[in-house]
Amino acid sequence: MIRRVLSRPAGRIAVAILSVIVLLAIFGSALAPSSPLATTSAQLGHISGSHWLGTDYLGRDTLSRLLAGSRASIVGAIEVALIAFFIGAVPGIACVYLGRVFEWLTLRLVDTLISLPFLLVAVAVTALLGNGMTVALLVVGVLLAPSFYRVSRAATLSVARSQYVEAAQLSGASLTWIVRSHVLSKVLPPISVTLASTVGTGFVVVSSLSFLGIGVQPPAPTWGGLLSSDLNYLSYQPWAPVAPALLIIATVWAANLLADAIRDVSGDAGRAYVSARVKRPRQPVLSRGGE
Amino acid sequence: MASEDRGHAVIVARARHASRSLLRNFARSIAIFLPVFFVATFATFLLRALSGLNPARIQLGQAASPTEINRLEASYGLNRGFFAQYGSWLNGVLHGDLGRSWSDGYPVSTLIRDGLTISLTVATLALILGVVLGFALGALAAVRRTTWIDRGITSFLSVISVIPAFVIGIVLVEVVAVELKLLPSAGFIPFSQGLWPWLSHLLLPALALSFGCMSSVARQLRAGLIGAYRENYVIGAVVRGLSPRRIFFRHVLRNGIGPALAVLGLEFPALIGGSVIVETIFALAGFGQFAYTSAQTGDVPAVQGVLVISIVLVVTFNLIVNLALGRIAPAARRGV
Repeated sequence: MIRRVLSRPAGRIAVAILSVIVLLAIFGSALAPSSPLATTSAQLGHISGSHWLGTDYLGRDTLSRLLAGSRASIVGAIEVALIAFFIGAVPGIACVYLGRVFEWLTLRLVDTLISLPFLLVAVAVTALLGNGMTVALLVVGVLLAPSFYRVSRAATLSVARSQYVEAAQLSGASLTWIVRSHVLSKVLPPISVTLASTVGTGFVVVSSLSFLGIGVQPPAPTWGGLLSSDLNYLSYQPWAPVAPALLIIATVWAANLLADAIRDVSGDAGRAYVSARVKRPRQPVLSRGGE
Repeated sequence: MASEDRGHAVIVARARHASRSLLRNFARSIAIFLPVFFVATFATFLLRALSGLNPARIQLGQAASPTEINRLEASYGLNRGFFAQYGSWLNGVLHGDLGRSWSDGYPVSTLIRDGLTISLTVATLALILGVVLGFALGALAAVRRTTWIDRGITSFLSVISVIPAFVIGIVLVEVVAVELKLLPSAGFIPFSQGLWPWLSHLLLPALALSFGCMSSVARQLRAGLIGAYRENYVIGAVVRGLSPRRIFFRHVLRNGIGPALAVLGLEFPALIGGSVIVETIFALAGFGQFAYTSAQTGDVPAVQGVLVISIVLVVTFNLIVNLALGRIAPAARRGV
């Protein structure tokens, strides 16, 4: 499947952007020309040879802060997506087999989570529970879990009633064997679509939280935090938000592009993410492949 | 005479049928949302136990004597068992009493009211902007499908949809307020001081908030309309020689609008939640700001109040959307 994703231009662009950003996250601090925390006398400095992106209100090198801040932003997004995956996908598959009571309970929980105003809850709960990064990631992970739950439940339901699973049951296959060999292969494509798009969403949420100063401790740089300090000095440095904003947009866009590419190559299975509440519109034939 | 009677009977029967289906829709929506309300309030209440915060830490500081702490906790009813506390809190919530703030003892409902007006105004403006612009863009793209207009709108929407609200907010402040000086960048002026000063302070926040709503409404509408255009009854209408305008409004719009309406119900929580971000950027003393500051000070009842109010708002809005959906596009409600 990876090769088929890479055979599409959209998939190739997405993977290229994402790998650059992941490399930034790994080597960002090492690449930074100066320390992201070292202050100089050149406050709110312009773009120059020694400071490629200028300096901030404490005279810290913006490029270094951008590079050093990449790790917190990216790792946060990936962790959030993984937490949401485990909290969502496991009960999503299990609820098909564990009986009506469990299914009803989990469905009500999912309804509740979806109707919560996402950012407000993330901000309120994280701040109340001590403002730490771990808490923030857990809260956001739980809030993002419903999409995984719905996707995996829908895919499992469709496979659980298919004839070949019935045949396997009749020939005496155990439940774990059926789940491992039939259900997982059907559930994985839509889940990987959701995983890619959840990395994008998680990235937006984590950056939004760090923009508000939640989940990170002040001197440590993040992309969202850079933007929030730029906001106060817009009249001095109108160009300052451009770099972090472009990086954030590129990351989210690439994650969504990757999700679309995976959905396109996995064919019908990728579109099994019919939500319980909204009837999905039919995909317009004309936009397929062009996007 | 007889035919007139029959016409009358038909009208009565139709009205009865319509009101019955409306009632059934309403009952079904309530049945879905009641559990949501109770689960959400219980989870909200659990926050107090999880956070381990108490009013004494905020009001008395670290150096308070145990008797003082006990007295204060008793005055807030915190010395009772967990479920007794939840029962009386829920009872209060159902009667419109959200408890007293831990930082100053004022009723939470009065504290929330002012901010809520601001936030709801911004959210309503954002909803209007998002729906109007989203419908215009989505309909235009669907009517001019496969042309460069459609491609332009589609790519514009896919770019818009990935930009986080706080980035849009900063760009708007930068371009409209700082560079062009068209609109003020921050603050709030009450409506009593004139329509334009009031509106001009709310336009930018509303616009920043509306982009997410706009892009998803436009995308769903475009997809829904294009799907409807491919149906046989549209070909039939074309063959019968109906005008394109009539085909669009009578046949395509009505059948293709469902997903766009349904997505509104999903976008509304984002509008309420996004108020935290937008109010920070544009320095509005709204609901989101209140939630943020009370969460930072550890004022648990205030945060609970905010969450309950926002859940009620979301649930009510979803009820309205579901009812509208049942009236306008019954087919789209299948599976709700």
